[in-house]
Amino acid sequence: MAERYLILEDGSSFKGEGFGSSATTTGQVVFNTSMTGYQEIVTDQIYHNQIIVFSQPTIGSTGINHDSYESILPTAKGMVVRDLASISKNRQRRLSLDQFLKQNNIPGISGIDTRYIIRKLRKTGTIKGSIVDVDDDHAFDQLHATVLTNQQVAQVSTPKPYPNPNTGSNVVVIDFGLKNGILRQLSKRDCNVTVLPWSATAESITNLDPDGVILSTGPGSPFDLPETVLDMIREIQSKVPLFAIGLGHELFALANNATVTPMLSEHHGANHPIRQIITNQIIFAAQGQGYAIDAKSVDREKLIITYVDLINGTVQGLRHRDFPAFSVQFFPDAAPGPDDSLDIFDEFTEIMSTREE
Amino acid sequence: MAKVVVDAMAMQRALTRITYEIIEHNKGIDDLVILGIKTRGVYLAQRIASRLQQLEGSEVPVGELDVTMYRDDIEHDGKENDPTVTAGSVTFPVAGKKVILVDDVLYTGRTIRAALSAIIDMGRPESINLAVLVDRGHRELPIRADFVGKNIPSSQKERIRVSVEEIDGRDAVEILHK
Repeated sequence: MAERYLILEDGSSFKGEGFGSSATTTGQVVFNTSMTGYQEIVTDQIYHNQIIVFSQPTIGSTGINHDSYESILPTAKGMVVRDLASISKNRQRRLSLDQFLKQNNIPGISGIDTRYIIRKLRKTGTIKGSIVDVDDDHAFDQLHATVLTNQQVAQVSTPKPYPNPNTGSNVVVIDFGLKNGILRQLSKRDCNVTVLPWSATAESITNLDPDGVILSTGPGSPFDLPETVLDMIREIQSKVPLFAIGLGHELFALANNATVTPMLSEHHGANHPIRQIITNQIIFAAQGQGYAIDAKSVDREKLIITYVDLINGTVQGLRHRDFPAFSVQFFPDAAPGPDDSLDIFDEFTEIMSTREE
Repeated sequence: MAKVVVDAMAMQRALTRITYEIIEHNKGIDDLVILGIKTRGVYLAQRIASRLQQLEGSEVPVGELDVTMYRDDIEHDGKENDPTVTAGSVTFPVAGKKVILVDDVLYTGRTIRAALSAIIDMGRPESINLAVLVDRGHRELPIRADFVGKNIPSSQKERIRVSVEEIDGRDAVEILHK
Protein backbone atom coordinates (compact mmCIF):
# COMPACT_ATOMS: atom_id res chain seq x y z
CA MET A 1 0.00 0.00 0.00
CA ALA A 2 1.05 3.53 -0.67
CA GLU A 3 2.71 5.80 1.84
CA ARG A 4 0.36 8.62 2.81
CA TYR A 5 0.20 11.37 5.40
CA LEU A 6 -2.31 12.65 7.92
CA ILE A 7 -1.69 16.38 8.29
CA LEU A 8 -3.35 18.61 10.86
CA GLU A 9 -4.17 22.29 10.93
CA ASP A 10 -1.65 22.89 13.72
CA GLY A 11 1.19 21.99 11.33
CA SER A 12 1.80 18.43 12.46
CA SER A 13 2.19 15.55 10.03
CA PHE A 14 2.00 11.78 10.53
CA LYS A 15 3.24 9.19 8.09
CA GLY A 16 1.17 6.07 7.51
CA GLU A 17 -0.11 3.71 4.88
CA GLY A 18 -3.13 4.46 2.80
CA PHE A 19 -6.10 2.11 2.45
CA GLY A 20 -9.58 2.50 1.04
CA SER A 21 -9.93 5.31 -1.47
CA SER A 22 -6.74 7.00 -2.65
CA ALA A 23 -8.40 10.42 -2.87
CA THR A 24 -7.14 13.44 -0.99
CA THR A 25 -9.58 14.34 1.75
CA THR A 26 -10.13 17.15 4.23
CA GLY A 27 -12.42 17.23 7.25
CA GLN A 28 -12.74 17.96 10.95
CA VAL A 29 -10.68 15.43 12.87
CA VAL A 30 -12.60 13.74 15.69
CA PHE A 31 -11.92 10.59 17.66
CA ASN A 32 -14.09 7.70 18.71
CA THR A 33 -13.25 5.54 21.72
CA SER A 34 -15.73 2.72 21.07
CA MET A 35 -14.27 -0.76 21.33
CA THR A 36 -16.55 -2.13 18.62
CA GLY A 37 -18.77 -0.99 15.80
CA TYR A 38 -16.47 0.64 13.23
CA GLN A 39 -18.93 -0.20 10.44
CA GLU A 40 -21.81 1.54 12.18
CA ILE A 41 -19.55 4.45 13.07
CA VAL A 42 -18.16 5.07 9.60
CA THR A 43 -21.64 4.85 8.06
CA ASP A 44 -23.27 7.15 10.64
CA GLN A 45 -24.18 10.49 9.07
CA ILE A 46 -23.16 12.39 12.19
CA TYR A 47 -19.61 12.03 10.78
CA HIS A 48 -20.44 13.99 7.65
CA ASN A 49 -17.34 16.07 6.82
CA GLN A 50 -15.31 14.43 9.59
CA ILE A 51 -12.21 12.27 9.67
CA ILE A 52 -12.58 9.67 12.41
CA VAL A 53 -9.63 8.59 14.53
CA PHE A 54 -10.24 5.23 16.24
CA SER A 55 -8.70 4.61 19.65
CA GLN A 56 -9.36 0.89 19.34
CA PRO A 57 -5.99 -0.22 17.92
CA THR A 58 -7.17 -2.84 15.43
CA ILE A 59 -9.91 -1.91 13.02
CA GLY A 60 -11.39 -3.99 10.21
CA SER A 61 -11.16 -7.43 11.77
CA THR A 62 -14.78 -8.33 11.11
CA GLY A 63 -15.09 -6.88 7.62
CA ILE A 64 -18.33 -5.29 6.53
CA ASN A 65 -21.66 -7.07 6.89
CA HIS A 66 -25.11 -6.26 5.62
CA ASP A 67 -26.72 -5.94 9.07
CA SER A 68 -24.68 -3.04 10.33
CA TYR A 69 -25.11 -0.15 7.93
CA GLU A 70 -26.31 3.06 9.55
CA SER A 71 -26.83 4.81 6.20
CA ILE A 72 -26.88 3.84 2.55
CA LEU A 73 -24.35 6.41 1.37
CA PRO A 74 -21.83 7.17 4.10
CA THR A 75 -20.35 10.66 4.01
CA ALA A 76 -17.49 10.45 6.53
CA LYS A 77 -14.30 11.98 5.15
CA GLY A 78 -11.81 9.44 6.35
CA MET A 79 -10.68 6.81 8.85
CA VAL A 80 -7.47 6.95 10.86
CA VAL A 81 -6.43 3.68 12.50
CA ARG A 82 -3.39 2.20 14.12
CA ASP A 83 -3.59 -1.27 12.56
CA LEU A 84 -5.79 -2.27 9.69
CA ALA A 85 -6.68 -5.90 10.35
CA SER A 86 -5.12 -8.31 7.88
CA ILE A 87 -8.17 -10.54 8.15
CA SER A 88 -10.04 -8.76 5.48
CA LYS A 89 -13.38 -10.52 5.29
CA ASN A 90 -15.88 -11.85 7.74
CA ARG A 91 -17.12 -15.42 7.67
CA GLN A 92 -19.99 -14.44 5.42
CA ARG A 93 -17.35 -13.51 2.81
CA ARG A 94 -18.82 -10.17 2.03
CA LEU A 95 -16.70 -7.06 1.96
CA SER A 96 -13.47 -6.07 3.62
CA LEU A 97 -13.27 -2.62 5.18
CA ASP A 98 -10.68 -1.68 2.55
CA GLN A 99 -12.99 -2.67 -0.34
CA PHE A 100 -15.94 -0.94 1.27
CA LEU A 101 -14.04 2.34 1.68
CA LYS A 102 -12.85 2.11 -1.94
CA GLN A 103 -16.44 1.64 -3.13
CA ASN A 104 -17.62 4.61 -1.10
CA ASN A 105 -14.71 6.88 -1.94
CA ILE A 106 -13.58 7.24 1.67
CA PRO A 107 -9.82 7.32 2.28
CA GLY A 108 -8.23 5.58 5.26
CA ILE A 109 -4.79 5.70 6.77
CA SER A 110 -3.20 3.09 9.02
CA GLY A 111 0.00 2.83 11.01
CA ILE A 112 -0.75 6.06 12.86
CA ASP A 113 -0.12 6.54 16.59
CA THR A 114 -3.78 7.20 17.24
CA ARG A 115 -3.36 7.56 21.00
CA TYR A 116 -0.94 10.44 20.47
CA ILE A 117 -3.36 12.17 18.13
CA ILE A 118 -6.26 11.69 20.52
CA ARG A 119 -4.27 13.26 23.37
CA LYS A 120 -3.41 16.15 21.09
CA LEU A 121 -7.05 16.60 20.03
CA ARG A 122 -8.21 16.65 23.63
CA LYS A 123 -6.01 19.74 24.08
CA THR A 124 -6.50 21.51 20.75
CA GLY A 125 -10.16 20.71 20.40
CA THR A 126 -11.61 19.71 17.07
CA ILE A 127 -9.34 20.87 14.22
CA LYS A 128 -9.16 20.35 10.49
CA GLY A 129 -6.98 17.71 8.93
CA SER A 130 -6.25 16.04 5.60
CA ILE A 131 -5.16 12.67 4.33
CA VAL A 132 -2.70 13.45 1.52
CA ASP A 133 0.01 11.82 -0.60
CA VAL A 134 2.69 14.45 0.13
CA ASP A 135 2.93 16.59 3.27
CA ASP A 136 4.50 19.64 1.62
CA ASP A 137 3.67 23.33 2.11
CA HIS A 138 1.20 23.17 -0.71
CA ALA A 139 -0.78 20.48 1.14
CA PHE A 140 -0.88 22.59 4.30
CA ASP A 141 -1.92 25.66 2.29
CA GLN A 142 -4.74 23.65 0.77
CA LEU A 143 -5.78 22.43 4.21
CA HIS A 144 -5.85 25.94 5.67
CA ALA A 145 -7.72 27.26 2.67
CA THR A 146 -10.43 24.60 2.75
CA VAL A 147 -13.71 25.88 4.14
CA LEU A 148 -15.97 23.08 5.34
CA THR A 149 -19.67 23.47 4.73
CA ASN A 150 -21.95 24.30 7.60
CA GLN A 151 -24.91 22.89 5.67
CA GLN A 152 -24.26 19.30 6.76
CA VAL A 153 -27.87 18.55 7.64
CA ALA A 154 -29.14 19.67 4.23
CA GLN A 155 -26.43 17.50 2.64
CA VAL A 156 -27.38 14.28 4.36
CA SER A 157 -31.13 14.65 5.01
CA THR A 158 -33.52 13.01 2.58
CA PRO A 159 -34.65 15.49 -0.09
CA LYS A 160 -38.12 13.93 -0.30
CA PRO A 161 -40.48 12.21 2.15
CA TYR A 162 -40.58 8.42 2.06
CA PRO A 163 -42.58 5.77 3.91
CA ASN A 164 -41.43 2.76 5.92
CA PRO A 165 -44.83 1.08 6.21
CA ASN A 166 -45.97 -1.13 9.05
CA THR A 167 -49.18 -1.76 10.95
CA GLY A 168 -48.64 -0.05 14.32
CA SER A 169 -48.51 3.52 15.58
CA ASN A 170 -48.14 6.26 13.00
CA VAL A 171 -44.75 7.92 13.50
CA VAL A 172 -43.18 10.82 11.63
CA VAL A 173 -39.39 10.91 11.70
CA ILE A 174 -37.71 14.22 10.88
CA ASP A 175 -34.44 13.37 9.14
CA PHE A 176 -31.56 15.60 10.24
CA GLY A 177 -29.08 12.88 9.24
CA LEU A 178 -30.92 9.81 10.33
CA LYS A 179 -29.09 6.68 11.40
CA ASN A 180 -30.77 3.42 10.40
CA GLY A 181 -30.86 2.27 14.04
CA ILE A 182 -33.78 4.59 14.71
CA LEU A 183 -35.85 3.12 11.86
CA ARG A 184 -34.78 -0.40 12.86
CA GLN A 185 -36.09 0.08 16.40
CA LEU A 186 -39.34 1.61 15.15
CA SER A 187 -39.79 -1.31 12.72
CA LYS A 188 -39.30 -3.78 15.56
CA ARG A 189 -42.17 -2.04 17.33
CA ASP A 190 -44.40 -2.18 14.21
CA CYS A 191 -44.45 1.61 13.79
CA ASN A 192 -45.80 2.91 10.51
CA VAL A 193 -43.12 5.47 9.70
CA THR A 194 -42.98 8.42 7.34
CA VAL A 195 -39.58 10.09 7.07
CA LEU A 196 -39.69 13.80 6.27
CA PRO A 197 -36.84 16.12 5.23
CA TRP A 198 -35.23 18.30 7.92
CA SER A 199 -37.08 21.38 6.67
CA ALA A 200 -40.57 19.89 7.25
CA THR A 201 -43.04 22.41 8.64
CA ALA A 202 -45.32 21.78 11.59
CA GLU A 203 -48.25 21.86 9.18
CA SER A 204 -46.81 19.19 6.88
CA ILE A 205 -46.20 17.02 9.95
CA THR A 206 -49.66 17.41 11.48
CA ASN A 207 -51.23 16.80 8.07
CA LEU A 208 -49.96 13.23 8.39
CA ASP A 209 -51.85 12.89 11.68
CA PRO A 210 -48.96 11.22 13.53
CA ASP A 211 -49.29 9.48 16.90
CA GLY A 212 -45.74 10.60 17.62
CA VAL A 213 -42.82 12.49 16.10
CA ILE A 214 -39.10 11.72 16.28
CA LEU A 215 -36.38 14.29 15.71
CA SER A 216 -33.39 12.30 14.48
CA THR A 217 -29.69 12.46 15.10
CA GLY A 218 -27.57 14.39 12.65
CA PRO A 219 -24.25 16.06 11.95
CA GLY A 220 -22.93 19.51 12.70
CA SER A 221 -24.05 22.37 14.85
CA PRO A 222 -27.64 23.02 15.96
CA PHE A 223 -26.94 26.73 15.32
CA ASP A 224 -26.51 26.12 11.59
CA LEU A 225 -30.21 25.34 11.20
CA PRO A 226 -32.70 28.15 10.70
CA GLU A 227 -35.02 29.39 13.44
CA THR A 228 -37.96 27.86 11.54
CA VAL A 229 -36.87 24.42 12.78
CA LEU A 230 -37.22 25.60 16.39
CA ASP A 231 -40.66 27.06 15.61
CA MET A 232 -41.67 23.67 14.21
CA ILE A 233 -40.49 21.92 17.40
CA ARG A 234 -42.35 24.37 19.67
CA GLU A 235 -45.56 23.78 17.78
CA ILE A 236 -45.25 20.01 17.46
CA GLN A 237 -44.30 19.37 21.10
CA SER A 238 -47.59 20.91 22.24
CA LYS A 239 -49.61 18.65 19.93
CA VAL A 240 -48.10 15.16 19.70
CA PRO A 241 -45.67 13.03 21.72
CA LEU A 242 -42.16 14.05 20.70
CA PHE A 243 -38.92 12.11 21.07
CA ALA A 244 -35.65 13.79 20.07
CA ILE A 245 -32.23 12.17 19.77
CA GLY A 246 -28.72 13.62 19.39
CA LEU A 247 -28.87 16.74 17.23
CA GLY A 248 -32.65 16.54 17.72
CA HIS A 249 -32.08 16.77 21.48
CA GLU A 250 -29.91 19.87 21.05
CA LEU A 251 -32.62 21.46 18.89
CA PHE A 252 -35.33 20.48 21.40
CA ALA A 253 -33.28 22.19 24.15
CA LEU A 254 -32.81 25.34 22.04
CA ALA A 255 -36.52 25.43 21.22
CA ASN A 256 -37.19 25.47 24.95
CA ASN A 257 -34.71 28.27 25.67
CA ALA A 258 -31.81 26.23 27.07
CA THR A 259 -28.27 27.21 26.14
CA VAL A 260 -26.22 24.87 23.96
CA THR A 261 -22.44 25.28 23.84
CA PRO A 262 -19.72 23.64 21.73
CA MET A 263 -17.51 21.20 23.64
CA LEU A 264 -13.73 21.67 23.50
CA SER A 265 -13.27 18.26 21.93
CA GLU A 266 -16.13 16.21 20.60
CA HIS A 267 -17.07 13.16 22.61
CA HIS A 268 -17.59 9.94 20.65
CA GLY A 269 -17.62 6.65 22.49
CA ALA A 270 -19.64 4.28 24.62
CA ASN A 271 -17.70 4.30 27.87
CA HIS A 272 -19.39 7.00 29.94
CA PRO A 273 -21.77 6.00 32.72
CA ILE A 274 -25.04 7.88 32.38
CA ARG A 275 -27.42 8.23 35.30
CA GLN A 276 -31.15 7.99 34.73
CA ILE A 277 -32.29 10.39 37.40
CA ILE A 278 -35.84 9.13 37.98
CA THR A 279 -34.73 5.59 38.89
CA ASN A 280 -31.11 6.36 39.84
CA GLN A 281 -29.99 3.61 37.46
CA ILE A 282 -26.69 3.74 35.58
CA ILE A 283 -26.69 2.96 31.88
CA PHE A 284 -24.11 2.99 29.11
CA ALA A 285 -24.88 4.07 25.56
CA ALA A 286 -23.12 5.13 22.40
CA GLN A 287 -22.54 8.87 22.40
CA GLY A 288 -21.47 11.27 19.69
CA GLN A 289 -21.69 14.94 20.44
CA GLY A 290 -19.82 18.13 19.69
CA TYR A 291 -22.30 20.29 21.57
CA ALA A 292 -23.71 20.08 25.06
CA ILE A 293 -26.59 21.63 26.93
CA ASP A 294 -25.64 23.92 29.78
CA ALA A 295 -27.42 22.45 32.83
CA LYS A 296 -27.64 25.85 34.54
CA SER A 297 -29.48 27.29 31.58
CA VAL A 298 -32.27 24.72 31.75
CA ASP A 299 -35.50 26.37 32.89
CA ARG A 300 -36.66 24.00 35.63
CA GLU A 301 -40.19 25.39 35.40
CA LYS A 302 -40.31 24.14 31.84
CA LEU A 303 -37.93 21.19 31.54
CA ILE A 304 -36.82 18.31 33.71
CA ILE A 305 -33.27 16.98 33.37
CA THR A 306 -33.70 13.21 33.04
CA TYR A 307 -30.21 11.84 32.28
CA VAL A 308 -26.74 13.09 33.26
CA ASP A 309 -23.30 11.99 32.04
CA LEU A 310 -21.28 11.14 35.15
CA ILE A 311 -17.86 11.76 33.55
CA ASN A 312 -18.29 15.20 32.01
CA GLY A 313 -21.50 16.26 33.76
CA THR A 314 -23.34 17.03 30.52
CA VAL A 315 -27.12 16.94 30.31
CA GLN A 316 -27.97 13.68 28.51
CA GLY A 317 -31.75 13.84 28.65
CA LEU A 318 -34.61 16.32 28.99
CA ARG A 319 -38.34 16.13 29.36
CA HIS A 320 -40.93 18.84 29.01
CA ARG A 321 -43.03 19.50 32.10
CA ASP A 322 -46.24 20.28 30.27
CA PHE A 323 -46.15 17.92 27.28
CA PRO A 324 -45.19 14.31 26.53
CA ALA A 325 -41.99 15.51 24.85
CA PHE A 326 -38.57 14.20 25.76
CA SER A 327 -35.07 13.91 24.39
CA VAL A 328 -31.75 12.12 24.85
CA GLN A 329 -28.30 13.24 23.78
CA PHE A 330 -26.95 9.69 23.54
CA PHE A 331 -27.95 7.08 20.95
CA PRO A 332 -30.42 4.60 22.45
CA ASP A 333 -30.62 2.45 19.30
CA ALA A 334 -27.51 0.46 20.27
CA ALA A 335 -26.03 0.50 16.77
CA PRO A 336 -23.27 0.27 17.77
CA GLY A 337 -23.04 0.29 21.53
CA PRO A 338 -24.67 -1.06 24.68
CA ASP A 339 -28.39 -1.83 24.54
CA ASP A 340 -29.09 -0.56 28.08
CA SER A 341 -31.32 2.21 26.82
CA LEU A 342 -33.15 0.43 23.98
CA ASP A 343 -36.34 0.52 26.00
CA ILE A 344 -36.58 4.28 25.55
CA PHE A 345 -38.20 3.30 22.24
CA ASP A 346 -40.73 1.25 24.24
CA GLU A 347 -41.30 4.28 26.45
CA PHE A 348 -42.09 6.27 23.31
CA THR A 349 -44.46 3.66 21.82
CA GLU A 350 -46.19 3.25 25.20
CA ILE A 351 -46.77 7.00 25.44
CA MET A 352 -48.31 6.87 21.97
CA SER A 353 -50.54 3.89 22.75
CA THR A 354 -51.80 5.37 26.04
CA ARG A 355 -52.93 8.43 24.15
CA GLU A 356 -54.59 6.40 21.41
CA GLU A 357 -56.80 4.57 23.89
CA MET B 1 -51.65 -21.18 33.14
CA ALA B 2 -50.10 -17.80 33.75
CA LYS B 3 -49.15 -15.52 30.92
CA VAL B 4 -46.87 -12.57 31.68
CA VAL B 5 -48.29 -9.43 30.06
CA VAL B 6 -46.12 -6.85 31.81
CA ASP B 7 -42.56 -7.82 32.70
CA ALA B 8 -40.30 -6.14 35.26
CA MET B 9 -38.81 -3.67 32.78
CA ALA B 10 -42.21 -2.72 31.40
CA MET B 11 -43.54 -2.25 34.94
CA GLN B 12 -40.66 0.11 35.78
CA ARG B 13 -41.35 2.04 32.60
CA ALA B 14 -45.06 2.25 33.34
CA LEU B 15 -44.38 3.70 36.79
CA THR B 16 -41.85 6.13 35.31
CA ARG B 17 -44.35 7.27 32.70
CA ILE B 18 -47.12 7.65 35.29
CA THR B 19 -44.74 9.76 37.39
CA TYR B 20 -44.04 12.12 34.49
CA GLU B 21 -47.76 12.27 33.70
CA ILE B 22 -48.51 13.22 37.31
CA ILE B 23 -46.02 16.09 37.06
CA GLU B 24 -47.47 17.11 33.68
CA HIS B 25 -51.03 17.00 34.98
CA ASN B 26 -50.42 18.76 38.30
CA LYS B 27 -47.86 21.30 37.01
CA GLY B 28 -45.37 20.10 39.61
CA ILE B 29 -45.72 18.38 42.95
CA ASP B 30 -46.88 21.18 45.26
CA ASP B 31 -49.61 20.03 47.67
CA LEU B 32 -49.38 16.51 46.28
CA VAL B 33 -50.02 13.51 48.54
CA ILE B 34 -50.13 9.88 47.48
CA LEU B 35 -52.43 7.27 48.98
CA GLY B 36 -51.86 3.63 48.16
CA ILE B 37 -54.53 0.98 48.56
CA LYS B 38 -53.23 -2.04 50.45
CA THR B 39 -51.41 -4.23 49.72
CA ARG B 40 -49.71 -3.75 46.36
CA GLY B 41 -51.05 -0.27 45.73
CA VAL B 42 -48.96 0.92 48.68
CA TYR B 43 -45.71 -0.35 47.16
CA LEU B 44 -46.58 1.19 43.82
CA ALA B 45 -47.40 4.46 45.62
CA GLN B 46 -44.00 4.39 47.34
CA ARG B 47 -42.22 3.80 44.05
CA ILE B 48 -43.99 6.73 42.42
CA ALA B 49 -43.13 8.89 45.45
CA SER B 50 -39.45 7.97 45.29
CA ARG B 51 -39.39 8.80 41.58
CA LEU B 52 -40.99 12.17 42.25
CA GLN B 53 -38.39 12.81 44.92
CA GLN B 54 -35.53 11.89 42.55
CA LEU B 55 -36.83 14.36 39.99
CA GLU B 56 -38.02 17.21 42.15
CA GLY B 57 -35.82 16.84 45.21
CA SER B 58 -38.63 17.05 47.75
CA GLU B 59 -40.56 14.38 49.55
CA VAL B 60 -44.15 13.58 48.74
CA PRO B 61 -46.12 12.08 51.69
CA VAL B 62 -47.38 8.54 51.17
CA GLY B 63 -50.30 7.07 53.13
CA GLU B 64 -51.92 3.65 53.22
CA LEU B 65 -55.56 2.81 52.84
CA ASP B 66 -56.83 -0.51 54.23
CA VAL B 67 -59.34 -2.45 52.25
CA THR B 68 -61.51 -5.16 53.70
CA MET B 69 -63.34 -7.53 51.44
CA TYR B 70 -65.88 -9.95 52.65
CA ARG B 71 -68.24 -12.37 51.04
CA ASP B 72 -71.74 -13.22 52.07
CA ASP B 73 -72.67 -16.14 49.86
CA ILE B 74 -76.12 -16.78 51.26
CA GLU B 75 -77.62 -13.33 50.92
CA HIS B 76 -75.89 -12.19 47.76
CA ASP B 77 -75.89 -15.20 45.50
CA GLY B 78 -72.14 -15.53 45.56
CA LYS B 79 -71.51 -11.93 44.59
CA GLU B 80 -68.94 -9.97 46.50
CA ASN B 81 -70.20 -7.24 48.74
CA ASP B 82 -68.76 -3.79 48.31
CA PRO B 83 -65.39 -3.60 50.01
CA THR B 84 -64.79 -1.31 52.92
CA VAL B 85 -61.81 1.00 52.87
CA THR B 86 -60.41 2.65 55.97
CA ALA B 87 -57.57 5.06 56.52
CA GLY B 88 -54.88 2.58 57.54
CA SER B 89 -52.02 4.88 58.26
CA VAL B 90 -52.55 8.32 56.86
CA THR B 91 -50.55 10.52 59.19
CA PHE B 92 -51.09 13.76 57.34
CA PRO B 93 -54.14 15.89 56.50
CA VAL B 94 -55.66 15.48 53.04
CA ALA B 95 -57.83 18.60 53.22
CA GLY B 96 -56.81 21.05 50.48
CA LYS B 97 -54.34 18.56 49.00
CA LYS B 98 -54.10 17.07 45.54
CA VAL B 99 -54.52 13.38 46.25
CA ILE B 100 -53.13 10.71 43.94
CA LEU B 101 -54.89 7.45 44.74
CA VAL B 102 -52.88 4.40 43.67
CA ASP B 103 -54.03 0.83 43.17
CA ASP B 104 -52.65 -2.13 41.27
CA VAL B 105 -55.72 -3.25 39.29
CA LEU B 106 -58.83 -1.30 38.34
CA TYR B 107 -61.75 -3.70 37.79
CA THR B 108 -65.33 -3.08 38.93
CA GLY B 109 -64.50 0.28 40.48
CA ARG B 110 -66.06 -0.67 43.83
CA THR B 111 -62.79 -0.56 45.78
CA ILE B 112 -62.04 2.87 44.35
CA ARG B 113 -65.52 4.11 45.24
CA ALA B 114 -65.00 2.96 48.82
CA ALA B 115 -61.53 4.54 48.87
CA LEU B 116 -62.97 7.83 47.65
CA SER B 117 -65.47 7.81 50.53
CA ALA B 118 -62.70 7.04 53.01
CA ILE B 119 -60.59 9.93 51.71
CA ILE B 120 -63.47 12.39 51.74
CA ASP B 121 -64.27 11.32 55.33
CA MET B 122 -60.76 12.48 56.29
CA GLY B 123 -61.21 15.98 54.87
CA ARG B 124 -61.94 17.81 51.66
CA PRO B 125 -59.07 17.39 49.19
CA GLU B 126 -58.59 19.91 46.42
CA SER B 127 -58.69 17.05 43.92
CA ILE B 128 -58.36 13.28 43.70
CA ASN B 129 -56.71 11.54 40.74
CA LEU B 130 -56.52 7.83 40.22
CA ALA B 131 -53.39 5.99 39.08
CA VAL B 132 -53.51 2.25 38.39
CA LEU B 133 -50.95 -0.15 37.05
CA VAL B 134 -53.56 -2.18 35.18
CA ASP B 135 -57.00 -1.31 33.91
CA ARG B 136 -58.76 -4.55 33.04
CA GLY B 137 -62.18 -3.16 32.20
CA HIS B 138 -65.60 -4.48 33.44
CA ARG B 139 -66.50 -1.38 35.42
CA GLU B 140 -69.72 -1.52 37.43
CA LEU B 141 -69.51 2.11 38.53
CA PRO B 142 -68.78 5.35 36.62
CA ILE B 143 -65.11 5.45 37.60
CA ARG B 144 -62.06 5.87 35.38
CA ALA B 145 -58.34 6.17 35.97
CA ASP B 146 -56.38 9.33 35.17
CA PHE B 147 -53.07 7.50 34.87
CA VAL B 148 -52.93 3.95 33.53
CA GLY B 149 -49.83 1.76 33.32
CA LYS B 150 -51.40 -0.72 30.93
CA ASN B 151 -54.85 -1.40 29.61
CA ILE B 152 -55.45 -5.14 29.60
CA PRO B 153 -58.84 -5.95 28.10
CA SER B 154 -59.71 -9.16 29.94
CA SER B 155 -62.43 -11.72 30.24
CA GLN B 156 -64.22 -11.97 33.57
CA LYS B 157 -63.17 -15.60 33.60
CA GLU B 158 -59.55 -14.54 33.81
CA ARG B 159 -57.67 -13.37 36.85
CA ILE B 160 -55.02 -10.65 36.76
CA ARG B 161 -52.14 -11.18 39.15
CA VAL B 162 -49.84 -8.30 39.99
CA SER B 163 -46.58 -9.23 41.70
CA VAL B 164 -44.27 -6.65 43.21
CA GLU B 165 -40.65 -7.12 44.22
CA GLU B 166 -41.27 -5.94 47.79
CA ILE B 167 -43.51 -8.84 48.81
CA ASP B 168 -43.64 -11.24 45.87
CA GLY B 169 -39.92 -11.20 45.07
CA ARG B 170 -40.44 -10.09 41.47
CA ASP B 171 -42.24 -7.55 39.33
CA ALA B 172 -44.81 -8.84 36.88
CA VAL B 173 -48.41 -8.66 35.73
CA GLU B 174 -49.86 -11.99 34.65
CA ILE B 175 -53.15 -13.25 33.30
CA LEU B 176 -54.34 -16.51 34.84
CA HIS B 177 -57.04 -18.63 33.31
CA LYS B 178 -59.34 -20.05 35.89
